[in-house]
Amino acid sequence: MTTISREATPEGDNIKGPHQLHSDLHEIWGNPRGLQALTIVNHTTLGLRFMVTGMVFFLIGGLLAMLVRTQLALPDQDFMSPDIYNQVTTMHGTVMMFLFAIPMLEGLAIYMIPKMIGARDLVCPRLTSLGYWCYLFGGIILSFSLVLEMAPDSGWFMYTPLSSSEYSPGLGSDFWLLGITFVEISALSAGVELVVSILRTRTQGMALHKMPLFAWYILAMALMIVVGFPPLILGSILLELERAVGMPFFEVAGGGDPILWQHLFWLFGHPEVYIIFLPAAGIVSTLIPVFAGRPIVGYGWVVFAIAVTGFISFGLWVHHMFTVGIPQLAQAFFSAASMLVAVPTAIQVFVWLATLWLGKPKMKLPMLWIMGFLIIFVCGGLTGVMLALVPFNWQVHDTHFVVAHMHYVLVGGMFFPLIAGLYYWLPLFSGRMPSETLGKWGFWLTFLGFNGTFLIMHWTGLLGMPRRVYSYETGMGWDIFNLLSSMSSFIMSAGIAMVLLDFALHFRFGKPAKHNPWNADTLEWANNMPPSAYNFVSLPNVETRHPLWDNPDLPRTMAEGQHSLAVATHGRREMWGTDPITGKVREIIHLPGNSWWPLFAAMALAVVCISLLTRLYPLAGIAVIIAGLFLLRWSWENGSHPKAAPDAEVAPGDPPLHSRTMDGPGLWAMSITLIANGSFFLSYLFGWFYLWTVSPEWRMPETSPLSLVGLILAGVVLAAGAAILEKLVRGLRQGKDAGLAVGMYSISALGFVQVAITLWVLLSADLAVTETAHDAIIMVGLAYALLHGGLGAVLVLLQGLRVGYGYVGAHAPFEPAVVAQWWRYNLVTFWILVGALAVLPRVIGS
Amino acid sequence: MATLMQRLHLTHPLHFVIGLTLWCIWFVAVYGGHAVACSVAPPAPEQGVFTLVSAMLLAVSIAAIALLAALTVGCCRMAKRQVGRLRFNASVSAGLYLFSTLGVVFAAMPIIGIPPCL
Repeated sequence: MTTISREATPEGDNIKGPHQLHSDLHEIWGNPRGLQALTIVNHTTLGLRFMVTGMVFFLIGGLLAMLVRTQLALPDQDFMSPDIYNQVTTMHGTVMMFLFAIPMLEGLAIYMIPKMIGARDLVCPRLTSLGYWCYLFGGIILSFSLVLEMAPDSGWFMYTPLSSSEYSPGLGSDFWLLGITFVEISALSAGVELVVSILRTRTQGMALHKMPLFAWYILAMALMIVVGFPPLILGSILLELERAVGMPFFEVAGGGDPILWQHLFWLFGHPEVYIIFLPAAGIVSTLIPVFAGRPIVGYGWVVFAIAVTGFISFGLWVHHMFTVGIPQLAQAFFSAASMLVAVPTAIQVFVWLATLWLGKPKMKLPMLWIMGFLIIFVCGGLTGVMLALVPFNWQVHDTHFVVAHMHYVLVGGMFFPLIAGLYYWLPLFSGRMPSETLGKWGFWLTFLGFNGTFLIMHWTGLLGMPRRVYSYETGMGWDIFNLLSSMSSFIMSAGIAMVLLDFALHFRFGKPAKHNPWNADTLEWANNMPPSAYNFVSLPNVETRHPLWDNPDLPRTMAEGQHSLAVATHGRREMWGTDPITGKVREIIHLPGNSWWPLFAAMALAVVCISLLTRLYPLAGIAVIIAGLFLLRWSWENGSHPKAAPDAEVAPGDPPLHSRTMDGPGLWAMSITLIANGSFFLSYLFGWFYLWTVSPEWRMPETSPLSLVGLILAGVVLAAGAAILEKLVRGLRQGKDAGLAVGMYSISALGFVQVAITLWVLLSADLAVTETAHDAIIMVGLAYALLHGGLGAVLVLLQGLRVGYGYVGAHAPFEPAVVAQWWRYNLVTFWILVGALAVLPRVIGS
Repeated sequence: MATLMQRLHLTHPLHFVIGLTLWCIWFVAVYGGHAVACSVAPPAPEQGVFTLVSAMLLAVSIAAIALLAALTVGCCRMAKRQVGRLRFNASVSAGLYLFSTLGVVFAAMPIIGIPPCL
């Protein structure tokens, strides 16, 4: 924690000049240079890093796309061998989806959200940093497989059994499974902290219904990440276990089922399309009112549409699997749901058109891309409704029609709005304006090239050309269409190159931008251009959806420190913690400063990833322990630790620091994390019951191998620990901390006893995990329980130590409440596991 | 009924997600229930749609429709009595409950036309 060496006179700060305030805030929030720059946790810097890294991966993915189109330009080409072609197509999809689209939009959200809601940073800055490093290292590991010519080659969806060790014996699938899981840590980190930041750190007065629409979209996207990614993480873990150890989760002969992979993948995969689309639609809903010069028509309708999209998109996954042999009635359910999701999308399109119709649109450069989006995305949406119809879906399944549809939705629905947004916010990033001439050339080349490539690809598909074939014979009627598609794709590339050139050149040659150059209404334009590390000198009271339209003087008064929290002498990074619904101030949130721990933890996790790839399991185990130690050390520097906020003094009239309350953002972050954890757990239960019900060779023994007595005993011990913890937390709520340390140590001991009993049950079960999927999935379930039990015990042990150091107690009661959530979750899931794995098989039988 | 609706705090933004969550639960229940029923006791194909499986799926769907429709009406009434933030919350919730109700109706319609387990 930085301490400014002046007397702490908070009430005196308000009369300081703006320059002095800026200087003081910069001393606390400013970014270090040199090697220390690796410790930066600031959202502005990390958001930019995410976006720049995302663009690098976009170039790699684009290059791979060009290779694909070169190969397909003419019939009977041997530009690439089939093996390399498979690697290139798989990596094109993987890089674009996992290493470009999601991280790029997350980067934009990480950069924008605090500025739009009047905060100084995201609520868990070190988590932002960990997310970035995991993304970078995971992306590098995955991309390196291309250099080694060992890239995954089973398609970006990695269907089993093609991706299983029998048909993909190399390391390609392992690179995908481990690399993507590593990258998904990043997505989940961003998802958790974006949710908490939007709900709990809006500036005072910004009630939920006054929030910028972009924040609504990001809130939905972040929650969808939290719920949608864990099924794929589970699937990846199971498939990697099958490949590495031989646990037959997806192998029919062992009682598994390859269709389970498809379910787990598309449970993630279809929501992912909307995870990508929603932030892009948020950009559209932000830009159109600005360029139309009027508020959006139907704010409430847009919120409605966002909520509907977020939920219904989880009910569509089986429409990717219409040809796998699912009963007609079940197909009809998913067909209907797939048509339903067009309703909220159509509502948004009509809202945008109505806003343009009733306003006076200015066709500036960002609006060109918005118009391109509207045309392309509506076409992609229409072909989506066509694909929702089962008979049509059967006809065009696995043809280029599907590839064309997907690109219309993803490029039209994500890339065009993204470029519109980047052009719009470019003056904020750099303080300079882009070139209209280069930008317009870039747009038209991209727009024409895109439609030339993919509109034609619809016809190639309707003529029957299958996807993922590396070559085709002449005389099929596909030659001219493929040639035109390939030529157009190069035109599109030239357009994108021009846009990127414009971006790069504008930093040096762009005209200096005037303040708020587009006359926007949202708070991010109250920042300096480019923004300072702390965003705002003072935090305003905002009770309107259009703060800069209703009060154009706001940026000046904020910069002069005329609003709240214009105090810096305490040396803390501070911002408001507000009520999630009303926006009333509840507490002052103090944020951690720059830290090495996120980088160290990510490096240790990278070692885990590489060790698993190279089958160096002992090293992987050691690296897991080291990563855990780094993360626990990171958690140590919280609350009233000397590096966090040892002094709880606040200005008269201000609310307390969050670490001195029972309702800080960490509580919310834990809740959201547990939602993700719950999604993982439910996916596991789905896998257990799915295999039990559907797998053709499922083998369940007559009597369960698990000791019911042992499990019940472990559950009772766990419940005893959880009950004591609840009692201690209740005491802290009343300001009592007598016996807190002893209580924590006792709970920890109970936690370790529960782990020991569960471990005994596992070892005594004598499971044949490589023989049957039944035993393998029980093994995974008990490993889950052990991990949660062990971590719960360690966390409580640390709380006991922190009580001893004086970091936790009646004066700082926050942390035990956070840990109690973990124990509650652990207790519930443990008993569900007991019921599902040990009780139900005894009741129902095999 | 009125007391129950009052206890539900229909102006709370949590209702933005309750209706659609109920839709999701209904959806998983009919899809999963159908799969389990077909695995455990598949009806004879010649029975057409007049099967116990279809009847149960329909019953679950009608219950979901009734619940969601009641919540829609409750939110509409509440919205009329409120202003500002509370009216916004209740109105959006009413729309979301209505969509969820119609969503169940639309997605459940195949139950009366397509025989199960085929």
